[in-house]
Amino acid sequence: MRFMFIVKATGYSEAGGNYNQKYTDAMIAYKKSLAGAGVLVSAEALHPSSTGIRIMYPSDSEKPEILVGPFLADQELIAEYTLIDVDSEADALNWALRMPVPTGCGEFKIEVRKLKKNLGFLRYSGTCALEADLKDQLSMLKNF
Amino acid sequence: MRFMMIVKATSDSEAGVLPSQEQFDAMQKYNEELVRAGVLLAADGLMSSSNGIRISYPEPGGKPKIMDGPFTEAKELIAGYTLIEVKSREEAIEWALRMPDPHGFGQGEIELRQVFEIEELTNNDDLLAKETALRKQVKEQRQA
Repeated sequence: MRFMFIVKATGYSEAGGNYNQKYTDAMIAYKKSLAGAGVLVSAEALHPSSTGIRIMYPSDSEKPEILVGPFLADQELIAEYTLIDVDSEADALNWALRMPVPTGCGEFKIEVRKLKKNLGFLRYSGTCALEADLKDQLSMLKNF
Repeated sequence: MRFMMIVKATSDSEAGVLPSQEQFDAMQKYNEELVRAGVLLAADGLMSSSNGIRISYPEPGGKPKIMDGPFTEAKELIAGYTLIEVKSREEAIEWALRMPDPHGFGQGEIELRQVFEIEELTNNDDLLAKETALRKQVKEQRQA
C-alpha cells in the first residue's frame, strides 16, 4: 500500500531558504535507506507558493477564479512530499518517524496519508507500457 | 519544468463520497489528453484524512507529537495531485485551467506549484551526484 508523507511549509521554506547542510545530508541518507529497502516511489520539493497560483470554482458558475501566490504559510501549505510503497500502516508510520527534521527552524509538521488504489494507466506510465509489451509478446508466443 | 496540480479536499472528499460517473469521465478524458500530449508524470487520489496521521515537531530538537485524523480544515487538506512536465509556466497554467472542476458544487480548488529540480536546491556536486544516483535507483526498482 502506498503512503504520502506531506511535509508542511514553514516560514523558512516559504522564504525560499535552504535548510542547513546537516539536514540536507540527513535527508539524503534517509532517502537512501528508503531506496535501499525498495520502498521509495518518489520524493520532490515544491517551489515556495510565491510562484504558485490557485484556481477556484466557488460556485456552479463555469468561470474559475484565479488567485496568484504567495499564500499564507499558516494555511497548511505543502513544501515537500515523499511517496512510499510498503506492506503495512505500521511500516509507513515507522518510516515517517525516521524522517529527519531540521533544527532551529521552528515547528515542523509531516502528514501521513494513504493513497487510493492504483488509478489504472496513470500510475507509472512507463511500467504500464512495458507491461503491455510483455503481454503482447506472451500472447504472440502462445499463438506461435 | 515540472508542476504539481494539487486538488484541495472538499467536504465530500473528506466524507469519502466518490466522484459521480460524469466527473469521473471528465477527469479520465482530461488525463488521457495529458498522456497523449506526453506531459503526465503521475496522478493519484488520497484517501480522506480520517485514516491519516500528523507528526509534528513543536519543539526544535524535541519529541514528535502524533495526531490521528480526521483533520478539520478540509479546505487546506489535499485530496489528490497530478504531476506534469511542460516547457513553460504558461503551458502549466493552461493545463491547470483545463482540469475539470474537481468538485462541481462550489468547493472545487486546484493549486498549481512548480517542483524543484535538484540543481535548484543545491550546487554541492557531492549532493547532486548522490541525488541523481538515488533517482536512477528508484527508477530501476520501479521498472523491475
